Amino acid sequence: MRIVIDILIGISILFAIAGVVGIIRMPDAYSRMQSSTNVTTFGVLGVLIAGILYSIIYLGDISMAVKLGVLIVFYLITSPIAGHAIARAAYRSKVPASEKTIVDKYGEDLEDE
Amino acid sequence: MKKITPAAFFSTLIVCYLFWLLITGQIVSIFTGDASWQILVAGGVVSILVSLFAARFFIHEKAFRLFNPVRFFLLLFYVIIIFGWELIKANVSMAIRAFCPTKKLKPGFVKIPTKLKSEYALSMLANSITLTPGTITMDIVEQDGENYLYVHCIDAEAEDMEKAGEEVKGAMEKWIRRIWE
Repeated sequence: MRIVIDILIGISILFAIAGVVGIIRMPDAYSRMQSSTNVTTFGVLGVLIAGILYSIIYLGDISMAVKLGVLIVFYLITSPIAGHAIARAAYRSKVPASEKTIVDKYGEDLEDE
Repeated sequence: MKKITPAAFFSTLIVCYLFWLLITGQIVSIFTGDASWQILVAGGVVSILVSLFAARFFIHEKAFRLFNPVRFFLLLFYVIIIFGWELIKANVSMAIRAFCPTKKLKPGFVKIPTKLKSEYALSMLANSITLTPGTITMDIVEQDGENYLYVHCIDAEAEDMEKAGEEVKGAMEKWIRRIWE
């Protein structure tokens, strides 16, 4: 069981590294946000699930596991809202998208208003 | 100011009290029989106060929809199996994109149509899309009775918006409609 927990934490570290590398490599603000969701989904969920398993098996503390479960629920509800708000605010305050952007329906429709 | 209906009040109360039990760890103590009545009563008072103020923001449509066990298990199934699978696929492809420099980026803002009508379903679809790496929901608009989502996509489809929608939504829209409508 210890191995499963270690593998989960290893996976989440791997994806967190991938997200950080992506943030450095991507061309513009929006693509960087895409890459950062790598950290905020698997990077966090892996550690939390590993924490649930650890607190049940090694600490024998069910109520701590329940709290971590509640943490996952709230995390899944709130984190995309923050991401959406940042992306939308960036677009509305005219942060430029990269040259490689192939289609911009949002900009076209905003100009019509 | 919207009026609070009793159904909205009670469903908010139940949700608040459930989260109080979960966070204080009393839900485990109830089963083992050493729950403290002080914590239970205090949670009840706080839940009543909170739901008096928050019910009008929390409940917009039918109040007891998720208390139907079939819908609740559909929701659990969706979050764990369907959405989990989408999450794994998108995470792996995004990690490959980050590490592999030869892979070309085709970022773009696409406008995808959706058949969902209810507010909860729309916000759940938007949240699911944002939570998947590679896609972020920018805005929701209503045009001629149809709802459209503007999505920033790391691997966008430029020409056909229906096809872009299929790529972004995957199996998620079908299951969300099953849960909420």
